[in-house]
This record gives sequence, structure tokens and C-alpha cells, in this order.
Amino acid sequence: MNRWAIGLLVLAFFSVIISVSTGDEVSFSEALSVLWHHLTFGYGNAPDPIADRIVWRLRLPRALLALIVGGGLGIIGAAMQALVRNPLAEPYILGISSGATAGASLFYLGFLPPLISKAVSMPVAAFAGGLCAILIVYSVAGGRGHLSVTRLLLAGVAVASLMGALSSFITLSSPEPDKLRSVLFWLLGSLHLATWSTLIWPSIAVLIGLISLLVLARPLDGMLTGDESAHSLGVQVESIKRILIILASLVTGSIVAASGAIGFVGLIVPHAVRSVTGVTHRRVLPASFIAGAVFLLWADLVARAILPGAQLPVGIVTALCGVPFFLILLRRSNYGFG
Amino acid sequence: MRQAYLLCLLFIGCSSSFPGERTVEDDLGRTVVLPPTIERITTLAPSVTELAFAAGAGSKIVGVSTFDDYPPGIDTLPRFDMLPTDFEAIVALDPELVLASEQVNSLKDIDIFSSSGIPVYFVAVNTLPDVTRAIRALGELFGTTEAATRRAIQLEDSLAQLSALTASLSERPRTLFLIDDVTLYAFGQGSYIHDMIDLAGGHSITQTMTTRFPVLTDEFVLDARPEVIVGSFGLQYDATKLVSHHATWDIVPAVVSGRVYGLHPDPYLRPGPRLVSGAWALARILHPDTVIDP
Repeated sequence: MNRWAIGLLVLAFFSVIISVSTGDEVSFSEALSVLWHHLTFGYGNAPDPIADRIVWRLRLPRALLALIVGGGLGIIGAAMQALVRNPLAEPYILGISSGATAGASLFYLGFLPPLISKAVSMPVAAFAGGLCAILIVYSVAGGRGHLSVTRLLLAGVAVASLMGALSSFITLSSPEPDKLRSVLFWLLGSLHLATWSTLIWPSIAVLIGLISLLVLARPLDGMLTGDESAHSLGVQVESIKRILIILASLVTGSIVAASGAIGFVGLIVPHAVRSVTGVTHRRVLPASFIAGAVFLLWADLVARAILPGAQLPVGIVTALCGVPFFLILLRRSNYGFG
Repeated sequence: MRQAYLLCLLFIGCSSSFPGERTVEDDLGRTVVLPPTIERITTLAPSVTELAFAAGAGSKIVGVSTFDDYPPGIDTLPRFDMLPTDFEAIVALDPELVLASEQVNSLKDIDIFSSSGIPVYFVAVNTLPDVTRAIRALGELFGTTEAATRRAIQLEDSLAQLSALTASLSERPRTLFLIDDVTLYAFGQGSYIHDMIDLAGGHSITQTMTTRFPVLTDEFVLDARPEVIVGSFGLQYDATKLVSHHATWDIVPAVVSGRVYGLHPDPYLRPGPRLVSGAWALARILHPDTVIDP
């Protein structure tokens, strides 16, 4: 563990504390006492039930979802950039998020019947949509026994447009126009549906993603040098590519299902991290995870706090805060890729 | 050449002043130039259709949007799409005036209509008194003052009756009105909904929120402790769904005492004459013992 990694972890810890104790409804000390009560398994006086619900059942799962989603987007961004050897790559580049969005819109706007309940069916529809998009992209790019990165990118962009058009069509021809506002809020990326139970699936997916990518850290370094030299380094280029795509759709699909399409985190974070850690994936991946997690947590804090009692979709904040930061970073550092 | 032609058109448009032409100011403060009499209207939103009917001008409406479903008199009228606005269909109906709603329609639309020579009048209903004010204004616009005044007085009487029942009530339940039960859209500052809740004998907990349609956080609702939660979820709404979407609300007073109600959406989401019956329905929910029927 390097010094920066420990520093980031400490930052993440305090960010969570600040996030759960910020807001008009519960005072800072009250929030801390709720956390203390739960973390010590009921030591001390039982907290006020309203404060308890706000801190433990609303803010904490939301903060953790921000960490998981931000971290997941960070590592998948880093992996995608290695996969396609292109600094513009991000988790959504292969059309996964557009597919997930289309699937969710289909369900949300009343074209698909709710299977179990709204809370369960929408993520499932989003996941199915994302999977559908990646299968199309994959079958186009993976023909002739060789996965072409160029075809992957082009097919990804094309399928993203197709799915985007499909979403717009669904939205405009919806039999339930009253729901447009809600679907819009979700589409822009928001963590407002976080509960302890919605954390489970994205946590598992992101954890699988993180561990698998850490195992693949060395081959990923090789991938950055190009297919042929990676091959000569002993990297099973084709199978690594396939694994990366499956991981990306798994993680991204589950993230989009939980929080909508939150833009820019997966693009910005790996670049910002590389300017500090260098390009070795053994460092880039864990640092991208923590940096993405902390960034999204703070962005969500802004989204919650900017309007008292009300909230904004966090996707708006990540773009508003992230992009200028990214541009400054690009301008100031003599940043190189690969 | 083409530009010169357009410029010419522009001049004709500006200087033309037919005898009897009148200028009025609409609810957005825009100056609207109208022909002396208006016989053909199209309405761009269900709320303004209802207002025009209330003003006695229903028979002048020649087309309504696909969202319109009230009053029954519109069943046979031609329809046009509003998402996005089907300008061709509307212009083809040859209206002398297009009535728009400040809540729903965009100012951008008027450019297209004014370039086709069709004046657009915007109606804004942001308070309960705005309803009858708008009806009277439309009555004057369409020369149906008598019918409009009659209807306005009727509605005002009904509001006064309700006010007489509720004004003196000391117990005014803290009320939350929701537009959506999952993503918590509500009405913020400057909405008629707070007038309705107030008249119905309640206290709206979102009336000081700074945005027009805030998306509430779950913790705001927990902290504000509403005693009644009503939403435009339809009369068949199963109140247990609200707690299944927002599990932490099990201790919110409205949930504890079973005072969560789905309402017919139209009398609350369409700022028109039916707001009055909406206020009555709300009063019957908030004070079932005091408010029996109009």
C-alpha cells in the first residue's frame, strides 16, 4: 500500500461521515450518535427514530451506493481505456448504458408489464437492455475469430445511437406521459432510490469486477502496448478482451440499473488517477476505484444539498463539477496516455 | 430577393391594422393582437380547454390536443399531437387564436404560430383566484362575458362555501401533496396546490420550497412529519405501495394513522375550473366530519 492509497482510503472514510451527517434534518452530533449506536451493535441510548431512519436507512445506503457506483465506473473506465487503447473510452462506450436506458424506459413508460414490482422490474429491464446492446456489439466486432477493437468501438457508437433513438421513441410515444418526469430524473443518473437492499446486486457485481481486474492488472499493462506486442509478452489478448467486455457489461449494467446513467466519472477518474500514479494498472485500478467512489460521493452530496429538502440528479453534478476539473487537469499536467 | 420578400412580409405584419382589431395583454404580459371577433380557437393543453369551456366559449373550439378528455363535448373534435407540437395539424384547423397554458406550453411555440399569422394567448393559473380571473378574461376575449361571469360566480360561491366550513378550523393537518409516488415530485413555491390545501383546511408542507417542482428527499418527508399524504395517483391507489417504495416512512404520522390517499389526478394537475371540486375532495379527506358535501 502506498501513501496515496492510504490517503485516499482515509479521505473516503471521512467523506462518508461527512455525507451522512450533512443535511438540515439531522444535526452532526445526532448523526454521529446514530452511527455509533449501530456500529457498536446497540451500545448507548437508542437514537431518535426519525434521525435513525434518515442516517442509517437513507443516507448511509445512499453514500455506500455512491461509493460502489463511483468506484465501479472508475475501474471499468480504466479497463475500457486499456481494452480499446483509446483515452476517450469510458464504461458506456460499448452502448451498454444506452441499451440499459432503452430497456428501463420500455418498462417504466408502460410498454412492458411489471413482473414482480416496479422496484425489481426496472433494474431487470435495464440490465436486459444493456446485455442486449453488448451482445449486438460483440457479435459484430467478434466475427472471424478475432475481436477487432476498431469494429468494437464503431459498433458501440452505432448501437449507442440506435438505443438512444429507441429510448427517445419510447419516451415520446409513451402511453403514460405522466411518468416522463420520473424517467427523466432516473435517466440523468440519480442515487435517490438507494436502500440497503438495492445495494446488494451492484456491490456483488462491482466486487467481482474489482477482483477480476486486479488479477488481470499485468495483462492490462501489456494491452496498452498494442495487440502484437502484448501477444509477444505472453498475454492471451483475445480471451482478455472477451473477459473485459463481459466484466464491463456486468458492472455497468448493474450500475445503470441502480442509478441510471451517471456520466463522466468513468472517463475522468482514470485519467486524473494516471496523472498521479502513472499507468501501471496495479496502481491505477485501486486508485481509480477509491477516487471514483469519493468523487461520486461528493457529487451526490452537492446534488442533495444544493436545494434544501429537494434533490438534483447527480449526473448533472458530475458533469458540472467533473468536466471543468478534468479540463484544468489536462491543461496543467503534461499528461500522456499509455 | 427572398430576404427582401420576407422583410416586406414583416412590414405588412407590423403595420397592418384592420378596423376593429384589438390588443390585449395575456397572463405573461405579452401584447396580443386579436381580430374583432373570434370564432375558431384551438387549445394547446387540457387545462385551457376546460377554462375555455367554463368561459362559455366551448363551441368555438375547433381542435384539441390528444391529451384532452374533458369535458365530454370535445369527443367529436379533431385532435393534434402535443409531444412534440404538431404545428401543421394546428395551422390546418385555421384557428383565429391559439390558447396556451403557461404551465405546459413553451414560449418558443409562439414564433411558429405568429409566423403563420395566428395570435397566441397564454393563460397562467398559479393561485386559486386565478381560475375565475382567467375565466372572466377569456369571456371578454371571446365575447361570452355573460356565460363566463355566471360560471365564475358559481365557482366563487362554491369556494366561499368551502371556506366558510374550513376557515375557522383550528386543527389543520400538515399535508403533503405528491405528484409521483416513487420519484417524489411535489409542488413548490407559488403553486395553486397550496391554496387548495389551505382552503381545504390543511397546511401544505412544500409551500416554501424554492423550486417549482422539487423532487423531495425521503428524509425531508420524514422530518416534516406530514399527517396526511395525498397524491395524484388515481382513486384506486393502494396506499401500502407508498410504504413499499419508501420503507423508512413507516413512522410518518400519515402512514401510521392510515391517512394516505390517491386522488383523481385531473382536478389537481390541470389548473382549470375543476380545481374547485378538487379542493372540495381534499377537504372531505382532511376533515371528513366537518365537510360533508357542497
